Amino acid sequence: MHPPEIELNELDGIIERHKNGKWELIPLLQDVQATYGYIPPESITPIAEALNLYPSQVQGVVTFYSGFSLKPKGKYVCRVCRGTACHVKGSRSILRLMKRELELEEGETSPDYRFTLETVACLGACFLAPTMMINRDYFGKLSPTKLSSVLGEYRQKGNNKNG
Amino acid sequence: METIALTIDGKKISSHTGTSIFEAARQSGIIIPNLCYHPELKPFGACRMCLVEDENTGRLMASCVTPVEPDMVVQTASKRVVKHRQNIVRLMIAEHPESCIVCSKGNRCRLRWIAAQLGIGETNLYHMPNYKPYEEANPFIIRDLSKCILCGKCIRADHELVVVGAIDYSHRGFQSRPATVHETGLEGSSCTFCGTCVSMCPTGALSTKNTYYVGTPEHETNSICGFCSVGCSLAVGTSSEKVIEVNPAHLPGSVNGATLCVRGHFAHDFLNSRQRLITPLIRKNETQGQNGLVPVEWGEALELVANRLIHIRTKYGPQSIAFLGSTKCTNEENYLFQKLARASIGTNNVDNGGYCSGQKNTHVIFDNMGGAYRTSRIADLENAEAIVVLGADPCHSVPVFSYYLKRAAKQGTPLIVVDPRHTELVDFASMWLRPKLNTDLELINALAAVLHDEKWHDLAYIDKFTKGFRDFRKSLKMLDLGRVSRLTGIDRNGLTEVVESLKDKKIVFVVGRGILLQKNAMQIVGAIYNLSLLTGSIGVKGGGVYFLAKENNQIGAFDMGTFPDMLPGRQTLGDENNRKNWERKWNVSLSRNPGLNMVRMVEAAERGKLKALYVMGENILRSLPQTERVRQALSKVDFLVVQDILYNETTQLAHVVLPGAAFSEKQGSFTNLEGRIQPFDPVTRPPGKAKPDWEIIDILQAKLEQTEAYGDLEKIRMEIRQHVPAYASLNGKRQTWIQERSEMDFSNGADSEGSVKFIPVASIKPESNDSDYPMSAIIGSMRYHLGSGTRSAVSKRIQGVDQEGRLEISYQDSITLKVKDGDKVTVTSRCGSLTRGVRIGKSLSAGHIFVPLGFNGNDAMNLLALSDYTEPDTPGWNTCRVKVKRV
Repeated sequence: MHPPEIELNELDGIIERHKNGKWELIPLLQDVQATYGYIPPESITPIAEALNLYPSQVQGVVTFYSGFSLKPKGKYVCRVCRGTACHVKGSRSILRLMKRELELEEGETSPDYRFTLETVACLGACFLAPTMMINRDYFGKLSPTKLSSVLGEYRQKGNNKNG
Repeated sequence: METIALTIDGKKISSHTGTSIFEAARQSGIIIPNLCYHPELKPFGACRMCLVEDENTGRLMASCVTPVEPDMVVQTASKRVVKHRQNIVRLMIAEHPESCIVCSKGNRCRLRWIAAQLGIGETNLYHMPNYKPYEEANPFIIRDLSKCILCGKCIRADHELVVVGAIDYSHRGFQSRPATVHETGLEGSSCTFCGTCVSMCPTGALSTKNTYYVGTPEHETNSICGFCSVGCSLAVGTSSEKVIEVNPAHLPGSVNGATLCVRGHFAHDFLNSRQRLITPLIRKNETQGQNGLVPVEWGEALELVANRLIHIRTKYGPQSIAFLGSTKCTNEENYLFQKLARASIGTNNVDNGGYCSGQKNTHVIFDNMGGAYRTSRIADLENAEAIVVLGADPCHSVPVFSYYLKRAAKQGTPLIVVDPRHTELVDFASMWLRPKLNTDLELINALAAVLHDEKWHDLAYIDKFTKGFRDFRKSLKMLDLGRVSRLTGIDRNGLTEVVESLKDKKIVFVVGRGILLQKNAMQIVGAIYNLSLLTGSIGVKGGGVYFLAKENNQIGAFDMGTFPDMLPGRQTLGDENNRKNWERKWNVSLSRNPGLNMVRMVEAAERGKLKALYVMGENILRSLPQTERVRQALSKVDFLVVQDILYNETTQLAHVVLPGAAFSEKQGSFTNLEGRIQPFDPVTRPPGKAKPDWEIIDILQAKLEQTEAYGDLEKIRMEIRQHVPAYASLNGKRQTWIQERSEMDFSNGADSEGSVKFIPVASIKPESNDSDYPMSAIIGSMRYHLGSGTRSAVSKRIQGVDQEGRLEISYQDSITLKVKDGDKVTVTSRCGSLTRGVRIGKSLSAGHIFVPLGFNGNDAMNLLALSDYTEPDTPGWNTCRVKVKRV
């Protein structure tokens, strides 16, 4: 399956909004990422031209931050916390379970572009350990049963929306 | 600036605010180990090798990025500091591949050197090689990023010095590396292969690619680049009398500093070419050897040349002999060469290859200024108030010069590019004007008119230094701006916008071949000169006119008088006094006949009037238009002598071939485009029996005149010093500058009132449309070749790039012509045609095609007409009307 088609014409509007400010590169990239779910590689050159930077500099910023991606991601990005507290509370098993459930390795995206599995160093919600995030939602005190139900919910959601 | 006292390694020193500890230490002779520091780059603090300890606070800090503070007590080599340094190096080595034995950096590797300084052999650490891509798809640079220590020198050189931006850090942590956009190979990026990064890389991560293994040079000798007119200082690396590597020489105050361009760095392969001439050759019989040319000894060859020249002079008179000097030969050689023509033979038929780049047209300013303010220093570009680039593509023709322009633009200097093509420089410009082809004259005049209308001209300057302003302003008022807009395609608003950005500024004009080879070049240069006077930009700081000469000694060849009606020191031959003067100096009588230029020589040969031609270091069968016609003409010459370094198109026709020496094999001096005279010494011996060109002419002259030869370059230099005031400082020791005539001193202005004159406004007839040849070809250079490409085309590594020199066409035309990238087209003009592949580019508007010079035997010149472009009503050599058909 191909990644969802994107329309690059929205890019012009985003660039226009940020063109004249100072230090606008990261806010601009955030907008692009929010619009497309990733930074389309072909957008690097127009962004660089608008901000009077070299394309290689823009790429440097994009690849530096793990928050930006040059590859399309799934509709639901699952980030399993691998911080110390979560580790003690068994996040390794949570990750193993996620891999098995989604049939994905870390950093991979499902062929139907529905799920992406990632790990993060710490989500900063240690009191809820073990935790993970799916897009902008936190899920804490995970257990195998809770995990299955959360994933089930998202699978359901996706099915409904996609018909 | 405040003075700060501090102690470094127990030594009390004083420094200034803002100075780094590293610099302060260096200034007082304490060298702190470093890997990422470079004097021409901004401090970066990447390698942590320069760690020092502050005794007061116990802090460890990177000295290159820490400014000095009062009363600091710094230890640069305390036990603690050394231990940290050792650990950093151990970690770097643990990550480094163990391939030193085959690494081309060899003993020049800075990492190895520093490890040795710190006594690190085995690291006793778990080896953790960091495999990264190995890249060598391009012909010039090998990237082995597993050897990269992330010092960022390549990236910083790319951004700060060369201003290209092809690479930057990508990813982070263990993954991080310098990368191109989309992580393509360098050949797929905007990299220009200037090689600056290679010269800077402290390890073997970046190294030069060679066609065979060359190892590390045994010796390094400084020289001056033999290609373009920037005149970069080179450090030429040799092994067993062979040039194997070229790097920028790190000399204080050199033009190029730490930078070079692809030609300077990689195109010097021609020095080792198998096509080098290694013995004199004479044509004995058509059936023998190479084209009938057989190797002989010097004595025989020179005897023959002397005898035949004397014979022809006796039989047909001195005007039947012509001499073509070289913009690639030294000042001393050109001086001797024209002396040979004028004094020994008695003809002024002496020209140089600079004709092909319109050098003569620059003379308009020289004449009007009386020779004053000739030197415009390239380094001053970075302090310019505004820069206007006209008909020039410096990123390709004079790359190192373009670095200065781009740096200035990055700093915020207004840069206005006037060019029908979207050149690389346009990306850095604050404004781009795209006049229709060959309408620059009207455009510049119109700019002057608008500037005057708005009353933004520099009245104080005009009153003080110029005359003829009243007439000039009258003719400006007559200018029909509506007509100008129609002709140039730029409306009044566009003009006003430009003029506004130039308001109250001194202007630097940079003028290239797009102007100098136009048929109205003289008038355009005149218009540029007028505009310079109007804005008060000549003879003051921050202003000036820079002519981008093509070849490295184009300026010097003219200064030395290798030009028909100009004696050494650019003195007009027509002036009785000048001639008398030189007659006295040389103790001969000189011909009054103004002499033939390069094209007229060919025409005279065609008509059978020219009986002998002596060509030194020019390959006219490649550099002149209508090759076939030139070949026919030259075959009619009774006696053709070609003195060159390579077996080329012109040597094939010669009756005698004399093997000269390339710049790196002889002593001499070159004058670059800014008027800097740069002497140099030989790096290697000439190959085989080849001799330095000055020696050849010297011996020949002695034979002709039955006198003693100079025998020593210093004697020739002495004569030049004595007789050519502008070169009074020429000696073999150091770089000097052309001496300006002092009577026109704009800085005090006391006795220079009204000394320079405005030139009346000239106008052009618009080019008529030619329906048989509906398109226009723009002919220009690309960075891989210089001029006609005789030398660069035999350079092995240059051969590795796009050999064909694809033509560029616009997207619109590609649709009309139904061609795609790589398809072949035939371009036909009234004079000739060529067939090459095309590439669809963004730089042209519809109806135009760009033909790069130097490729494919330089067949681009076949499109042009061999006619004297300095005559009215002849086509220029920058563009021509063509039709394009898909093959």
